[in-house]
Amino acid sequence: MSLALGRRHLAIPVALFVGLGALAPLCVLVVFSVFTVDDFDLVPDLSGRAWAELVTSGTYRHLIGKALLSGAATAVITAIIGYPVALALARLPTAWKGVAVVVLLTPLYTGEIVRIYAWRLVLGAEGLVNAVLEGLGLVDEPLKVLLFTPFTTGLVLTYNNLPFMVLSIWVSAEMVDRRLIEAARDLGARPIEAFFKVVLPLTTPGLAAGIFAVFALAAGEMLTPSLLGGTAGATAMAMIDSLFGTAYDWPMASALALGLLAALFGCASLAAFLILRLKGARAVLGRAR
Amino acid sequence: MLPPAAAPRATPPEASPLMLSVRGLVKRYGKAPAVDGVDLDVPERAFMTLLGPSGCGKTTILRTIAGFETPDAGDLVLDGVGLTGIPPERRPVNTVFQSYALFPHLTVAENVAFSLRLRRGVPDVETRVGRALDAVHMAAFGARYPHQLSGGQQQRVAVARAIVAEPRLLLLDEPLSALDRKMRAHLQVELKDLQRRLGIAFVYVTHDQEEAFALSDVVVVMKDGRIAQKADPATLYARPASRFVADFIGEATLLDGRVLAAGPASATIDTALGVVEAPSIDGLAVGAPAVLVIRPEIVHPGPGRLTLQGTVVRAVFQGERSMVGVRVGSCEMLLPAVTAPAVGETVTIGLDPARCFVTGDDR
Repeated sequence: MSLALGRRHLAIPVALFVGLGALAPLCVLVVFSVFTVDDFDLVPDLSGRAWAELVTSGTYRHLIGKALLSGAATAVITAIIGYPVALALARLPTAWKGVAVVVLLTPLYTGEIVRIYAWRLVLGAEGLVNAVLEGLGLVDEPLKVLLFTPFTTGLVLTYNNLPFMVLSIWVSAEMVDRRLIEAARDLGARPIEAFFKVVLPLTTPGLAAGIFAVFALAAGEMLTPSLLGGTAGATAMAMIDSLFGTAYDWPMASALALGLLAALFGCASLAAFLILRLKGARAVLGRAR
Repeated sequence: MLPPAAAPRATPPEASPLMLSVRGLVKRYGKAPAVDGVDLDVPERAFMTLLGPSGCGKTTILRTIAGFETPDAGDLVLDGVGLTGIPPERRPVNTVFQSYALFPHLTVAENVAFSLRLRRGVPDVETRVGRALDAVHMAAFGARYPHQLSGGQQQRVAVARAIVAEPRLLLLDEPLSALDRKMRAHLQVELKDLQRRLGIAFVYVTHDQEEAFALSDVVVVMKDGRIAQKADPATLYARPASRFVADFIGEATLLDGRVLAAGPASATIDTALGVVEAPSIDGLAVGAPAVLVIRPEIVHPGPGRLTLQGTVVRAVFQGERSMVGVRVGSCEMLLPAVTAPAVGETVTIGLDPARCFVTGDDR
């Protein structure tokens, strides 16, 4: 057996760190989820109560479903809005691309809390949007739907996650050789046909990366729904937070966390499986080897 | 065997019906014109090559015919129909790209079928794809993906994809330039053969003079966005219209001189080698600067009609012979020799001025 170190062995320390960093807490959670709380003390009496409750309780299932839906909806909406933006960016002159990156990422530098309070100012009853609408005479009284509703959550989740979607599609779009589009046109494809037959298939890897990132980020989002979503802003994350904290039900919190993780993981795996069956993704990813 | 000085036109494409006509084509990028007033006629079934150094505008012309570039001035007429404002997808013209531009996510067969599947209700797509792949000897590779093919194989697929819809005109943009020498020579033969069989006109862009000569009925030599000369290869070689063409096409010794007398088909020119009378281009003015073009193969060791003494300054081994450079006075003469003399040796060489050519000095 050879002990020679190859370049790929350089990845071992980091892989170990990441692997243990992800696995150790998960193992802890698994253990916690089958323990019992006795008088505000976690004791190692094995019990399936938390898991039974996770499966039978409508609340928990609802929260997990809501997280998945929120993640999926945000991913789809940002993909639809972000795709044309990314394509347009890929066609900018090089100097303007730098400007575009800065503009695209600036909102992310401001911090989540700042952004959330900024949204309150913009969308509130005496906020910017209502002031403009009233000034134009379009509404008689402030629109209530703008703030503390599911609409608000959706809007802000879309806004927060759009840069990640645009960036990943953009990278993919930059790698599509313009001559392939010319070849398609030359062979009789109208611009829209060239898009669907060449550009879209070859940008699926970027689209997929964006969808995975945004899905995970939006599904796990807690602050935006709780601070802007009003009474409809309950999330699985907030529930886990309160179960660990005020409720001191660590087994239930652990079971819910693991359940949410399993659901997210399952959805992402299914999506990855479906995307890799697409020819465009296979062509791009297969060539990279 | 040398091309005679006044070669007859090898093929008479002028006799065939005119298919593509380009008039006064101008294309500017910024202020600099890439194409500056070009007229071209591509007859039916012709193999026309646009030849020139990089940046001479040849690819721009091709892209304008394909519809990827909008001309700033001029007209393109194909089969009597103006092409102005017609997008690439509606032109009966297909392109073989320099980089092949095969769709990486489609198999070879799907690549070739691309244009047929875009049109609704094209019958026998499979049969036609098979025929096109057959024509380029790639029938066995239909299920492969482009990245599984060699450069030469990809080039063949690109050709099959471009001919499957039977275009009126096939445009080829340096299609062989990415291949090694042997593959290139091999595919040149195949392309020429294919063009004859299909009976489609080819407009071919290259910077490789040998390739242009091997393939073309008509070669259009380009310089700085303009046509320097348009002729069949033999005429181009034997009767270059200018110093630029004489220099760009093949090897030659170019001697500067001044025109002493100009007839309809010959001129007398005063050069460093003395006064020489040789066939010439038309329209040389007495007193004007001109260039005496001496191809290596008309120079021979030993005395000739014009006998010169010189010193061997270089000998480049080329296989079956060597190319020898002999310094005569202030100029260097090239001649082929089966056994090369030693560098530094004094030699006697001869040539027949009647086989030289006098052309204009366009510097």
